Amino acid sequence: MAEQIFDTVDAVKRALEGCLYIASDEIATVVYLAEKLGKPVLAEGPAGVGKTELSKAWAAATNRPLVRMQCYEGLDESKALYEWEYAKQMLYTQLLRDKLADLLAGASSLSDAADRLANEEDVFFSERFLLQRPLLRAINSDTPTVLLVDEIDRADAEFEAFLLEVLSDFQVTVPELGTIVARHHPTVFLTSNNTRELSEALKRRCLYIYIDYPSTEEELQIVRLKVPDLQPKLARQAVEAVQALRNIDLRKNPSVSETLDWARALVTLNAQALDKATMENTLTVLLKYEADVARARRALRLEEEARRGRKDW
Amino acid sequence: MEERIGRFIAALRASGVRVSVAESQDAWRAVEDLGARQREAFRLALRTTLIKDEPNIERFEELFPMYFGTGAPPLMDPQAELSPDEQQMLQQAMQSLAEQLQQLMEWLLSGQGPSQDELEELADQAGMNRARRPSPLQQAWYERRMQRLLGWQQLQELLEMLWEMLAQMGMDPQTIEQLQARVAENQAALEQQLSEFAGQKLVDNMIDDYQQRPPIDELMERPFGSLTQAEMDQLRDQVRRLAARLRSRAALRQKRGKRGKLDSKTTIRANLRHSGVPFEMHFKQKRLKPKVVAILDVSTSMRPLAEFFVRLLYELQDQIQKTRSFAFIDHLEDVTDDLLARHIDDAVHIILHKLPPGHYNTDLGHSLRQFEAAHLDAVDRRTTVIVVGDGRNNYNDPAIPIFSKICRRARRAIWLNPEYPAQWGSGDSDMLQYAPLCTEIYQVRNLAQLADAIDRMLAG
Repeated sequence: MAEQIFDTVDAVKRALEGCLYIASDEIATVVYLAEKLGKPVLAEGPAGVGKTELSKAWAAATNRPLVRMQCYEGLDESKALYEWEYAKQMLYTQLLRDKLADLLAGASSLSDAADRLANEEDVFFSERFLLQRPLLRAINSDTPTVLLVDEIDRADAEFEAFLLEVLSDFQVTVPELGTIVARHHPTVFLTSNNTRELSEALKRRCLYIYIDYPSTEEELQIVRLKVPDLQPKLARQAVEAVQALRNIDLRKNPSVSETLDWARALVTLNAQALDKATMENTLTVLLKYEADVARARRALRLEEEARRGRKDW
Repeated sequence: MEERIGRFIAALRASGVRVSVAESQDAWRAVEDLGARQREAFRLALRTTLIKDEPNIERFEELFPMYFGTGAPPLMDPQAELSPDEQQMLQQAMQSLAEQLQQLMEWLLSGQGPSQDELEELADQAGMNRARRPSPLQQAWYERRMQRLLGWQQLQELLEMLWEMLAQMGMDPQTIEQLQARVAENQAALEQQLSEFAGQKLVDNMIDDYQQRPPIDELMERPFGSLTQAEMDQLRDQVRRLAARLRSRAALRQKRGKRGKLDSKTTIRANLRHSGVPFEMHFKQKRLKPKVVAILDVSTSMRPLAEFFVRLLYELQDQIQKTRSFAFIDHLEDVTDDLLARHIDDAVHIILHKLPPGHYNTDLGHSLRQFEAAHLDAVDRRTTVIVVGDGRNNYNDPAIPIFSKICRRARRAIWLNPEYPAQWGSGDSDMLQYAPLCTEIYQVRNLAQLADAIDRMLAG
């Protein structure tokens, strides 16, 4: 598997497009710089605009495995880095009991036996019994990887500080084994939904990109690429409707992924036009709160009335 | 170019964007890699390396064109297409026209714009170097002033005269038309140049101004009320940074306090799979889950400080999930949701708008009664009650029994008062009656005291 080389921003953009990801110039430039400078990318923006998708697409474009770490409150080092597999160690000890008895058979004293046992300690604290968690897996991998640290804002501040250490040196110390240095620097993507302010130290080390909702044309392009079965006219109507919905004051704006779900729903329902009935029936695909659905219905009805009023006039 | 980028980064800092040395180095490397020839790529390279907060993107976009141009075309030489005879005609016509506008006419008709020195001189004449507190908002004003100094208003008239004179001298009408078009283009380009220069000059002056500002330590000691607008902005930044620092400090403390007593029940259950040999120890988790009820006075006497304390509430709510916030003047308002849902600036605006200041209408007693009636269940033995106010009650009933009831229910009651202890109890202040009921009272007049108080609050 040959490593492709991305020499220009355009090459990055095309590669991402090849993996069904429409990248703006900004996104392509940041990804290009991340590769060149070896810096992590911190992507912020509303939920569902393709922050996570970007790293997946980049992993696919570069043919590298994606190592994903989902953050949550209470995530700690043992869940993110490594853990000793106690159960397996126990099992091995049980099964190897005879062997151990042989080993200790000729021991003259207790301390002699302990010394002999200590000599074999390495067997039990080897990589065989090390349960690798995402961070260690990304560092320890033989091939370059793409590491995705998803929703870093959900993790605690202390974990953020710990991550900082890993991201700056790309090495990890396991007391029993020694220091493991990354053979290849993984490309790191961090995403944040901005539910809390990240520390300045972390931001300082990253390239920053704010991904906002796409414009009508961009979104249409995405829909066409991902749901090619939808009629072009219907696709445009659908995208325009979603963009209009984003302008209403909703509790949760419909995201790009929900637009795509909706587009797929329209294809499945074999909808011919975006009439009132279709809209009413499928609105729940886009909006996930009862209050939002009611508000959107009201807005649609007002629009409808305005249109009819104009016709009657 | 290098100097340009350096100046640009200084300008970003001056306008309140925090750029570290490491980040400016990243910017260098990025620009080296992408080259500065392509404007768009150059802009994106700088933006992604220097700007790490979404709200700051706007500042960046404002400043960028001032330092690296908007891509406006340079002035063109309108005389290139003229024959020597025609050029001669033009020279004569110009010489016979006004002397005072000669400079401006020359720039327009020769296609050579003003030099850096000439621009500097012009800016100085326009008084830009003497501006007391430069701000980007003044750009348009200085731009017009520089135009007036050049005689922009009379220019149109003069040009009309010039065209007429050239026609009289027998120049081909088509050539004149061409010349007119070119001069118009040049005029637009020159206008753009002046505007850019004015903007950049202002920002440059802003940098110097920023570097001469008093250091923050001194600000820390000054009372909130006596600050100017710019100092307020600076302090606001500090409050945010302070909160971020406290957040991580609190988190560390939480970690340290995590390991409690051995949890024998969970340990036995977890080690059943190791045939009861206790391999995995489980400890009782000491959870530090404080609850806070904050009651903030935003009345006239507290108004200058109110914004800071609202900001403080906002950060506190961010820090401690179970925070209920209330604000009052003559009645109580639950502002928890306002603080939760919005951006900090909007939240501050909305809360201060909800409770407009009136004349001598503070009524803490009534507000406390309201609190007791509607929200007393928010206070339990885990709750810390924080009251921010001067305790000045306009001789209304201070409702001491109710406050005492609230304090007894709560784990702690903390009062932050901006007044000196000597002033307590004077005039309409009921502070001395409230004081014995509180667990702790801090006098908070400035940022240093605030930092101190918060630190002690979080420690407990």
